[in-house]
Amino acid sequence: MAIDEALIEALEAERGVEHVEELGEISAVLIRRYAAAIGETSPLYSDSAYARAQGHADVVAPPNFIAAVINWGPGAPYERLREDGTEADTHLPGVPAKGVRVMGGGEEMSFKRPVVAGTVVTRTTTLADVSERESSQGPMLVVHYSDRYRDAAGESLLETVRTVLLR
Amino acid sequence: MRVGEEAETRRGTLRTGSVLPATEYPTSTVQIFRYSAATWNTHRIHYDKDYAVAEGYPDVLVQSHLHGALLARYCTDWIGANGRLLELGLRVRRFAIAGETLTVLGTVKAVEHLDDAHAAIALELIETRGSDGETCATATARIEIPPDWLASAPTDETPNAGKTAA
Repeated sequence: MAIDEALIEALEAERGVEHVEELGEISAVLIRRYAAAIGETSPLYSDSAYARAQGHADVVAPPNFIAAVINWGPGAPYERLREDGTEADTHLPGVPAKGVRVMGGGEEMSFKRPVVAGTVVTRTTTLADVSERESSQGPMLVVHYSDRYRDAAGESLLETVRTVLLR
Repeated sequence: MRVGEEAETRRGTLRTGSVLPATEYPTSTVQIFRYSAATWNTHRIHYDKDYAVAEGYPDVLVQSHLHGALLARYCTDWIGANGRLLELGLRVRRFAIAGETLTVLGTVKAVEHLDDAHAAIALELIETRGSDGETCATATARIEIPPDWLASAPTDETPNAGKTAA
């Protein structure tokens, strides 16, 4: 259905284009909720005093936390959500608002520095490449996005390459 | 803390082929919901069972990032304050539904002697679902470890010996 020349062209046009977003300050409550959701028991992620005793400024985010947050803003209006509930304009440059099903295919993460509560994070997203693949459910596009997360001083926190499957 | 204890029991034990202890991670509908909430993930496949069934799945699905979080946790729980998770590359192979118990097992695929003070291991991680033992996710991890955890001095058994620290 959705995999056609126009979609491939729209994605190709995004190749190499840098999208810089200010994600804002990583709050301690976001870190603690994330740690609770994954069942973490280490106090490094929830207890500020413990984290400070380990040499950190505050609680530390579990390694893949900042890569796992889908949207750092308030969320799109309902009429702009796709049928699958995902948002039209977040973190998938080149992917249209409607008519495409989006699935995560994996991620390569390189952890550069611990992310502690209070860190102000900037993300640079680039579409690295697009390729076509036949799946059991018809044609599929495999898209790789590169994300580079930095703090306010410009120091690298995390670098990832995401694989996103479209059909 | 158990840092010293772990360092003691693991000293001289790690080589290519070493198998780390398996860990089980239960999942649930509530966990998957909370994970979606904590990450502002609005995909219906994670909270709308009717939608998941219409898509051909028996129930709502564990998020790919939650698979990643559990695999990362396996590494950080194992290394604790003795070292650091440097890299994690995740591939989701099959779906896991709410209620599955996911088991993660790590095998040392390569050891790296970086210098006298630094060493790392490359781990292959396999995450299987309890219902039928099928693999849901695989990952490779690179973890900095205390050099004295390695079983021996540098040898030819290190396929990654040329790789250097970032």
